[in-house]
Amino acid sequence: MRPPVPFGQYVPGDSPVHRVEPRAKMGLVAAYVIMLFTVGDFIGLIAAGLLAITAVAISSVPSRLVLRGVRAVSVILAFTLLAHGLRWNPATVSLVRLGPLALDPEGLLTGIFFAVRIVLLVVGTSLLTLTTSPVRLADGIERLMSPLEVLRFPAGEVAMMLTVALRFIPTTAEEAEKIVVAQVARGARFDVGGPTRRARAYVPVLVPLFVSLFRRADELATAMEARCYRGGEGRTRLRESHLTLSDWVVMISGAVLMVGIGVSL
Amino acid sequence: MDEPAEPTEPTEPTSRSTATEDPFSKAPASGTGSGANRTRETVTAALLAALLAASAWISIPIGTAVPITLQVFIVLLAGLLLTVRGAVLAVGVYLMLGAAGLPVFAGGLGGWGVLAGPTGGYLWGFVVAVAVISWLRTRFAVLVGKTIGDALALAMGVLVIYLFGWLQLAAVTAIDPWSALIVGVLPFIPIDAFKAVAVLVVAEALRRSGVVR
Repeated sequence: MRPPVPFGQYVPGDSPVHRVEPRAKMGLVAAYVIMLFTVGDFIGLIAAGLLAITAVAISSVPSRLVLRGVRAVSVILAFTLLAHGLRWNPATVSLVRLGPLALDPEGLLTGIFFAVRIVLLVVGTSLLTLTTSPVRLADGIERLMSPLEVLRFPAGEVAMMLTVALRFIPTTAEEAEKIVVAQVARGARFDVGGPTRRARAYVPVLVPLFVSLFRRADELATAMEARCYRGGEGRTRLRESHLTLSDWVVMISGAVLMVGIGVSL
Repeated sequence: MDEPAEPTEPTEPTSRSTATEDPFSKAPASGTGSGANRTRETVTAALLAALLAASAWISIPIGTAVPITLQVFIVLLAGLLLTVRGAVLAVGVYLMLGAAGLPVFAGGLGGWGVLAGPTGGYLWGFVVAVAVISWLRTRFAVLVGKTIGDALALAMGVLVIYLFGWLQLAAVTAIDPWSALIVGVLPFIPIDAFKAVAVLVVAEALRRSGVVR
């Protein structure tokens, strides 16, 4: 079975947004999230929204893809609106009533505020991953973590793990599907019986899955040892990526602008 | 599984403990010293992260409206099977893959927005939960025996996931805590109880098969 979503949401392109170095982009997204959580009213949200729309327009990523993430949180959006907008048996008289339920315009406005904030959060942050390839992002994460090595955080090892995990996601998914199908072909049923029986139905899937995972880990570790892997320290890269002057300018000016909006509006 | 008893290897506590502070105790007779154990632990955690990521795409039809993914199973299993370090690394790497934008979270989502968004608390909770499970199970095993200890550790782990998930849901959507509890925690209790039972059975089967101890 093919994954329902293409591997990585990355949309290749050569827009200015694509060209910004991953670390600079991550810094900007962090500033964007801070801005969203510090703005206090709709004017601030509109400013943030305009920034997000501008960035999406520059990136030339189809807006359909940007909005795909919003669809996924639609249930929570609806709930946020309802939880804020509806009142049970309010003392004040409301325009719209349905039995004891009443629409509270003020609460609804609050609900809209938080719903818009969630939408902007999803739109802005998915732009990062839509315009940066996973490998470059993983590399960026590693570079961002490297100062933590002073605190004995195994940044090099984590980077290696990210690479291994990236490489093995498709393999693992394939294997898991194969085991599920194989057990169904042998007559395994996942949809009958009580709780215990259903829980037990997973055993014939998970046990082979984990057995093969531990076996593969053994083989891989041996192969790495044989090639003189000795921990993450001092590992070199095939492709180096550098923060250029324009990356710094974009990151600092963008971050100052967004945090400024967040604090003042 | 943190107990020093390791029948395949003659005990040399001094030479081993100087090289690494946390030997990967379930390596079967690797013989090449602590470096190999460490590599093995790291690679196992990496593959577990890959499996966690892949499990967003594998759904098992169980007949309920909510499609059940293997994700929470694997998180809970990781807590029971790995050391604290290995389990935290595995789940941490999984979250980083998601933060890097791979569609590895439930429903094929990915990206920073999910971690910062209303349901992100459950994901943060995973990291703390595996640490709690892995740490508690060795303590509980001494106090109340292995099976009950594992069950209690799992229950605590699930509670940790709920706690983080609930707090972030309430904070991000700014709904009152009670409503957040009704939407974000209570409906999942029966399903997660199923999962915990399955995890116990699988962990037991894996230990019997000798792949892990």
